[in-house]
Amino acid sequence: MLEILLNHYPVLIKGLTTTLVVSLSAIALGLVFGMLLAFGLTSRYRWVRWPCGLYRSFWRGTPILLQLLLVYYLLPEIGIEVAPITAAILTLTLNTTAFQSEIFRSGIAHIPTGQIEAARMAGISAWQTRRRIVMPQVFRLTLPPLTNEIITILKNSSLISVIAVTELMRVSEQIASRTFQPLETYLAAAVLYLAVNLLLARISAHLERRMTGGLATE
Amino acid sequence: MPMADAVTTPTTTPHQTHGEPIVEARGIGKSFGELEVLSDIDFRLEPSEVVCVIGPSGSGKSTLLRCLAFLEPYDHGSVYIDGQLLGYEERGGMRVRARESRVDAVRAPVGMVFQHFHLWPHRTALENVTEALRLVNGLSRRDAEAEGMAMLERVGLAERAGHFPESLSGGQKQRVAIARALAMQPRVMFFDEPTSALDPELVGEVLDVMKQLAHDGMTMAIVTHEMGFAAKVADRVVFMDQGRIIESGPPETLFRTPRSERLQQFLNTWRERHID
Amino acid sequence: MFDLALLWETRELILQGLWNTVWICFLGCLVAVSLGLVLAALRLSSPRLFGYPVACYVELCRGTPLLVLLFLLYYGGPSIGLLLDAEIAGVTGIGLYGAGYFAEIYRGGFKSIPKGQLEAARMLGISPWHALTRIQIPQMLRLIVPPGTNQLIILVKESALISIISVDDLTKNATTIVNQTFNVIEPYLAVALLYWMIIELIARGGYALEKRLANRQPRHVVRQGESAHAHG
Repeated sequence: MLEILLNHYPVLIKGLTTTLVVSLSAIALGLVFGMLLAFGLTSRYRWVRWPCGLYRSFWRGTPILLQLLLVYYLLPEIGIEVAPITAAILTLTLNTTAFQSEIFRSGIAHIPTGQIEAARMAGISAWQTRRRIVMPQVFRLTLPPLTNEIITILKNSSLISVIAVTELMRVSEQIASRTFQPLETYLAAAVLYLAVNLLLARISAHLERRMTGGLATE
Repeated sequence: MPMADAVTTPTTTPHQTHGEPIVEARGIGKSFGELEVLSDIDFRLEPSEVVCVIGPSGSGKSTLLRCLAFLEPYDHGSVYIDGQLLGYEERGGMRVRARESRVDAVRAPVGMVFQHFHLWPHRTALENVTEALRLVNGLSRRDAEAEGMAMLERVGLAERAGHFPESLSGGQKQRVAIARALAMQPRVMFFDEPTSALDPELVGEVLDVMKQLAHDGMTMAIVTHEMGFAAKVADRVVFMDQGRIIESGPPETLFRTPRSERLQQFLNTWRERHID
Repeated sequence: MFDLALLWETRELILQGLWNTVWICFLGCLVAVSLGLVLAALRLSSPRLFGYPVACYVELCRGTPLLVLLFLLYYGGPSIGLLLDAEIAGVTGIGLYGAGYFAEIYRGGFKSIPKGQLEAARMLGISPWHALTRIQIPQMLRLIVPPGTNQLIILVKESALISIISVDDLTKNATTIVNQTFNVIEPYLAVALLYWMIIELIARGGYALEKRLANRQPRHVVRQGESAHAHG
């Protein structure tokens, strides 16, 4: 396993970089869309809530591999030619948007309503209240589940290898078929995934400790 | 787990002053890591005696009670319940940690009431009371329920028998917890800050039950912040600070003529906060 | 636009995929639920001996993709003499992977029971065995049903990955139909619907179990004349 890591580290690192780029792009885009969807889910209007709910149900309720295949085969069908990597980022974004919206929705629900009432009574607009009072706290509250989501997306990104994106998993397959050492190669891949995810968990725990001051409580 | 220190364990019952104490602690000490929370505590509880332990938070009073119940193992000294050493055994001249079943047997005369009630949330009020009757005393369901209802009646909660803890007020929960302990017919009751977790308007109902118990002759050790209650009900008040017993005596003496500066300070602070 | 006839013509492939997904998921989840319990029990009974190894195992499951584990079993296995059918590799992979998550779920359930409840039991002379079976486990069951259900759903969705190691499951057979008929929407949406039905079934089952475990709470009794105690 060590031998594989040493002999093939340039391609492995390149694969890992692609993995990270794809995953983190999806996470960042999902952050924006997820937040919007969360507001949609908690909207006053039923005609906004209902389609948002349907979207969330579909993307949370079906296998991500199936979603990927659907997006990848469907886009050319309706006349849109995209590179595999674009289809991959698109699928992961659509998927994580649904999961992140739920994380934010429950985060918002945990902010005591008294705080929002206090802001509204002080004459702060609804939009400003959301932006300056609710969201900063939501970020702290949602950091642990958000970290889990990042790790989940990183792990799930391995399946974009099936549409020939040369990320870490795909690179490992190539190495395995060349060296005839599948066990060692996939162990090496496992170690790399594990290292990145443990690092992420560490960073998150560190951030969480630093942000615990002034956390929303009853 | 052998005891490292050189505490000698008398094989006979410890010395007697007047009558046999139900609970006796001799020179007990306890540390959490580096921090010494109890040092060289002597404590006696005679039959029908009501002792209130007071002191600032962090003074070790709750730890003392938990050591007397062996919920926390003490590191030095000895605790005797009805003359029997609690928590440790002599084996071949060495002192070793007693088996759990032995601990259970020695502390069987002790009932305990906790600050946070610790009712079992998946059992009704009545089931909380009957659980130990059935599991430990082997009573049939019907006998246990008759006994349990009698106990709930005693704390004035018979009509709440079928309720689950989550639907009871704090005061009611604590009264169920008292009934649960009483059901095992303890000879002595330990109360660890029984009213500290309650809303002020619910404290009275719990103290009333405790007063009635005292009146009925129950032996009690009570860790509390309720000075008024201590003054009225206690036969003796023990003041603790920094892991030591500073003063001990009848409430009238202790509250009117405190000898130590620390107790004076403690009482002054308390009075400042409770001017009425 | 939506061609139902196509689905009818390819029903055999779809049903075969459904059957394979169902039995592989069932066995995989069974392994995950039971092995997870064993791991959690080991960790609780002797933290000094098993705490660290089990924690490592949990981290391993949480930190590596299931796909890597499946590849290790299916492609890597033969080099150490472990020749598994793709289906068996799927069951093993899902089981080993899920066990790490379930070990954490059980542990969380045990940990969230306040220690004081056990002290109360000990003070009444209730034995550790009775405290476990009558006080800890009944409460723990109620606590772990929601996260457990959630985890089973995740495992079923992740099971789609076994199609990559050539198991003829729902996803694989849907792709086969897509490649044969050049119709994308019908097979994938039909299969998505089937996954959704399996998941909905698990969710309903979990919800029913949760209610069953909780229905000893006579809430109608609780409501009567209790408003006086509705304080915080």
